[in-house]
Amino acid sequence: MEELLNDVVPQEDLERFERKYQQENKVNGEVSIETKFEYACCLVRSRYTNDIRKGIMILEDLAHVHPEGKRDYIYYLAFGNARIKNYTEGLKYCRAFLDIESNDQVRALEEHIKKQSDKEVAKGMAVAGGAALVLGSIIGLGIAMARK
Amino acid sequence: MSFTVPKIQSIVNKLYEHIDYFVEKYPNMTAAPYNYNYIFKYIIIGDMGVGKSCLLHQFTEKKFMANCPHTIGVEFGTRIIEVDDKKIKLQIWDTAGQERFRAVTRSYYRGAAGALMVYDITRRSTYNHLSSWLTDTRNLTNPSTVIFLIGNKSDLESTREVTYEEAKEFADENGLMFLEASAMTGQNVEEAFLETARKIYQNIQEGRLDLNASESGVQHRPSQPSRQSISSEAMHAKDQCSC
Repeated sequence: MEELLNDVVPQEDLERFERKYQQENKVNGEVSIETKFEYACCLVRSRYTNDIRKGIMILEDLAHVHPEGKRDYIYYLAFGNARIKNYTEGLKYCRAFLDIESNDQVRALEEHIKKQSDKEVAKGMAVAGGAALVLGSIIGLGIAMARK
Repeated sequence: MSFTVPKIQSIVNKLYEHIDYFVEKYPNMTAAPYNYNYIFKYIIIGDMGVGKSCLLHQFTEKKFMANCPHTIGVEFGTRIIEVDDKKIKLQIWDTAGQERFRAVTRSYYRGAAGALMVYDITRRSTYNHLSSWLTDTRNLTNPSTVIFLIGNKSDLESTREVTYEEAKEFADENGLMFLEASAMTGQNVEEAFLETARKIYQNIQEGRLDLNASESGVQHRPSQPSRQSISSEAMHAKDQCSC
């Protein structure tokens, strides 16, 4: 799972699908589902958070307008959210998927997200604990000084 | 200038500081030597439902996965094997066969050292599409990429639609390695993955595969810590400590 999430789309591929998307938009005033999907798949594999967010937006839209492909969209929504550390959202999509279909690929992603999110929580608590300690000492020091 | 004891001590301390910094920043570099000497990248391609994911699962888990759902995009598997006393880590990208993924999965072909091209011996159409899969592979990989043709579901003899001889001829004409296999019984699954690795290794030994080319699909990792690394992170680390 780690390898899948760390894998970054080759820039030239991303650009190729972006061009296809823009071309269709310019010529037809709208973009086909196929092209939207291909572009979104590349975007969520980008190294940049903004690209991934854009990919997520396209996928959310696709999930509404094209229910037949929902399975793929939900997986990529979970995947994209996992890549930008949006763990709550990521888990939400994994569960939505697994409610409908038992699937090892999605289960592996879900487990990975859970593990990462637990790690983040632990890190957060450590930081909060440290901050509380520092704050406590400053206040303590302040009180001690004030008493003097 | 003479080196007094305190001076040496201070140098040693400085050294320790550097080591600590290094260990913290690059844990992978200083950890125990890699337990493999090479990494080979594989891709598995072919029509929907021919059993690509089941072959991978059989190879990595030694189990048959019944009712395997359609892969979404791409899946990943890995296993360490041995060729010629060398440990080789196979990194296997298992692509979705559904047509809608065809364009996006092409970006995984680049830099593959081995390509397993799969068809289903009980469905003629999956065999007929091989030339299109082969064209993609030839266009998107490099000339030294080893292509292995697998006729899967060899356990289903009674519903066979493609003969062994016919496929063998196709493979020979196109310079492909070939086996019929069964992800269900496990027959020839190991062989297909291992023979591909042996062929890649042979290409390295005979100098047909340039390890320094970024798209060779092979990474070499000598087991000593002072390795010549290929990964950019390690190169970066080297730059950092040349102080």
